[in-house]
Amino acid sequence: MIGPLIKNGIISEGVNTLCAVLIGVLFGYALQRSGFTNSKKIAGTFYMKDVDVPVVMFTAITTASIGLYGLSLLGLLDLGKFYFLPSYLLPMVVGGFIFGIGMAVGGFCPGTSIAAMVTGKLDAMVFVGGFLLGSLLFGDLYPLWDKFYNSDANGVWRIDQLFNINLGLAIFLVTLLAIFGSLGMRKLQYKFWGKND
Amino acid sequence: MKKKLWDPIFGGIMIGIAMILTFYISGRGLGASGALTAFAASIQNIVAPSLNQSSKYFSKYFANGANPLNDYLVYLVIGVMIGSFIAGWVSKDLKFEVLKGPNISSKGRLWYALIGGILVGYAARMARGCTSGQALVGGAELSVGAWAFMFSIFAGGFAVAYFIRRQWI
Repeated sequence: MIGPLIKNGIISEGVNTLCAVLIGVLFGYALQRSGFTNSKKIAGTFYMKDVDVPVVMFTAITTASIGLYGLSLLGLLDLGKFYFLPSYLLPMVVGGFIFGIGMAVGGFCPGTSIAAMVTGKLDAMVFVGGFLLGSLLFGDLYPLWDKFYNSDANGVWRIDQLFNINLGLAIFLVTLLAIFGSLGMRKLQYKFWGKND
Repeated sequence: MKKKLWDPIFGGIMIGIAMILTFYISGRGLGASGALTAFAASIQNIVAPSLNQSSKYFSKYFANGANPLNDYLVYLVIGVMIGSFIAGWVSKDLKFEVLKGPNISSKGRLWYALIGGILVGYAARMARGCTSGQALVGGAELSVGAWAFMFSIFAGGFAVAYFIRRQWI
C-alpha cells in the first residue's frame, strides 16, 4: 500500500478520521509519559536545568525525517502528494520569539497544555484559556498585522534547497545536528546543575 | 508512587512514529494549536458572531457553512486528550494541582500561565503553527521557516528566563 493512503483512495474519510484520533492517542500518551504535562520540566529547558524537551523534539524530528525519506526511497510513500508547510520567514522568526517568551512564562506549548489539562494540572487549564484569548486577539484584530503576517513569503523552502545539496545529505546533516545538539545541551545541563537533579 | 518517565530518546521516537503515521495515512502533519483556535472561533461564533463575520481571519473558518470543529486536527487533539488521560491514569499522575517553583504562590503561577497562554496563542497564529504543527512537522520536512521558528522559540525563552526565574527555580 503506497501512502498517503487517503490521497491514493485506499481508505475512506471515516477511516482517516478514526486514524487521526488513534494517532492523537499515541501522541498524547507519549507526551504524558515523556513528562511534558509538567510545566516545571518544560520551563526547565530555558534554564538548561532539564533538557529533555529539546532532546525529545530533536529525536522526534529526525525519526520522522529519516522515516519519511526511507519510505519514499522504498517506494511506499509518494512525497509528491504531501502537504509541505510554506515558509514565511520573518513572521515565523517574530512569532517564534514571542512564542518562546510565552512558553517560558506560561510553562507550556499548545500540545502539552492540552495533555496536561486532562491530567488535572490547573496551570495548564488557565494556559489553555489564555491561548484561546490570544488566538482570538490575533484573528479579531487581524487587519493590524495582516500585511506582516503575509510578508516574506518563500513558499515551500527546504534546507536542501537553501544550501543546494541533496535531500538525503540534508537529512544526514540535520541528524548530526540533532545528535550533537542533544549531547551538547545535556553536557551543559550537567555542568550547571549537576547530574542528580 | 508515580511511574518513572520514559527515556527522552524513546519518547522522541514514539512521537516521530506518530508523525510518520499522519503522513503515511493522511499526507499531512499533526498539530495542536489549530484545533484550539478552531475551538476559540467556535465559542466566539456563539457569543459574538458579528466579530467572526467582520474578521477577515475568522470569516473563512465558517465560509459556506463550514464547521471548523469538523477538522482533522480537532479529531487528533481529541485523541491527545484520551491518550494523555490514559497515560496519567496508568502512571498515577491524575491529580488537580498547580506545578511551580518553590518561590511563587499558586495564584502567582496561574497569572503567569494566563499571560504565557495569551502570548503563545497570539504567536502560534502569527507563525502559522506551534511546537507540534510547525516546529516538529516543519522540522521533519526540513522547512527553513520551521527551523527558524524553532531557534526563535529558544531565543525568546532564554531571553526572558532570567527575569521570571522566581517562578521556576
